[in-house]
Amino acid sequence: MEIKDVGMAGTLESSDIMISIEKNEGKGIEIELKSTVESQFGSQIRKVIKETLEKMGVTNVFVRANDKGALDCTIQARVEAAASRATQAGFKPWEVE
Amino acid sequence: MEYLREEVIKTTSEYDKERLSAFLNKQGLTLDNDIEYSMALTDSGRIVAAGSFAGRVLKCIAVDEDYKGWGLSAKVVSHLVNELYRRGRTHLFIYTKPQNKNIFSELGFSPVAEVPSKVILMENRADGIKRYLEEVSTARKKGGFSAAVVVNCNPFTLGHKYLIEYAAARCDSLDVFVVWEDKSSFPSEIRYRLVKDGVGHIPNVAVHKGKDYIISEATFPSYFIKEYEDYVETHAKLDIAVFAEHIAPALGIVKRFVGEEPYCPVTSVYNRIMKEILPVKGIEVEVVPRISYKGKVISASRVRELIKMGEMDKVKELVPEITYDYLTSSEADKIIKKLG
Repeated sequence: MEIKDVGMAGTLESSDIMISIEKNEGKGIEIELKSTVESQFGSQIRKVIKETLEKMGVTNVFVRANDKGALDCTIQARVEAAASRATQAGFKPWEVE
Repeated sequence: MEYLREEVIKTTSEYDKERLSAFLNKQGLTLDNDIEYSMALTDSGRIVAAGSFAGRVLKCIAVDEDYKGWGLSAKVVSHLVNELYRRGRTHLFIYTKPQNKNIFSELGFSPVAEVPSKVILMENRADGIKRYLEEVSTARKKGGFSAAVVVNCNPFTLGHKYLIEYAAARCDSLDVFVVWEDKSSFPSEIRYRLVKDGVGHIPNVAVHKGKDYIISEATFPSYFIKEYEDYVETHAKLDIAVFAEHIAPALGIVKRFVGEEPYCPVTSVYNRIMKEILPVKGIEVEVVPRISYKGKVISASRVRELIKMGEMDKVKELVPEITYDYLTSSEADKIIKKLG
């Protein structure tokens, strides 16, 4: 999927994560993570972000993530929403296939 | 906290504006007059937290003393950031008191520069200014004694051309930064193009877009209001701090040339602050007197005046050929109409 715009989703409130996704021509997936639980869950958060993007077929992106202790399912949802806004693909994750 | 309501405050409504102003005054802040969008959290109609933005700068953010520690600033900033992204603005700044640095650090903002006990400027990315300077760095003429000039060029006159030629003759490499904010009569792209083409004959000069970090809405908001207020000095100090702490060291600039400013009070304060601060940081400042034509100094504001009056013959005497050609082209029609 091609990134056309900067996409953002989420909030900075407790138990949420704010994700913004932008183009990163030819440099793969880069993640800039800031988290209140960085030392405990930093690598797990990065893994969830990366896997979610890969599953969506998004490759060259720069991700800024500001985490306030979100659960994996929240992270996944925010990444999907941000990426679909960035690709303007009309991606509808709530539809059952 | 669930019972708090999130409201968009319409600053066009006198009633709402009054409510917001009263709340901010209680927190020791004033509602800036360039505000574009405001929101508030209310508890049975009473404002308990609020935030606003103008362009890409978040400002006037405050939380009522009794409601501190509830994470309301996160709610306010989230709302504003979401709205800004929706409007296509993604590189954001916060202008706040230095004691709020930690609150906004936690909300994902990194400090750019600070005027101690007055104001701190933060941006929503860790590498913003670094990336900008890398971009500038690749486009510049390197080596030797490096100097810089910052110009708005609204539009590019013989005065600007003289300043750049004068500076270029007195250093090995010159970086010219064109103010990037689109708040002048002539659009940034046009101002930049005229300068770039107009000084293309000088081999040791590189022209850059000033973007967010030189006299921008973020570093020096009062420059675009053009009215003297006491905060102009603080804004000027902040802009100079960004230059002295980031731009000059990264690019190896050791001197700044500046055109003398006899008229505009905001610019003359800026020049005075520059002369106070930069030499302390090891950057020399030279004020270059303006050149005159028929006994009157050449200034862009005079050129705009003449354009407004339709006296293109007189304009021709004050601007380089490239500017004159542009002004008399069909491309300039719309802008000239707006001037008048």
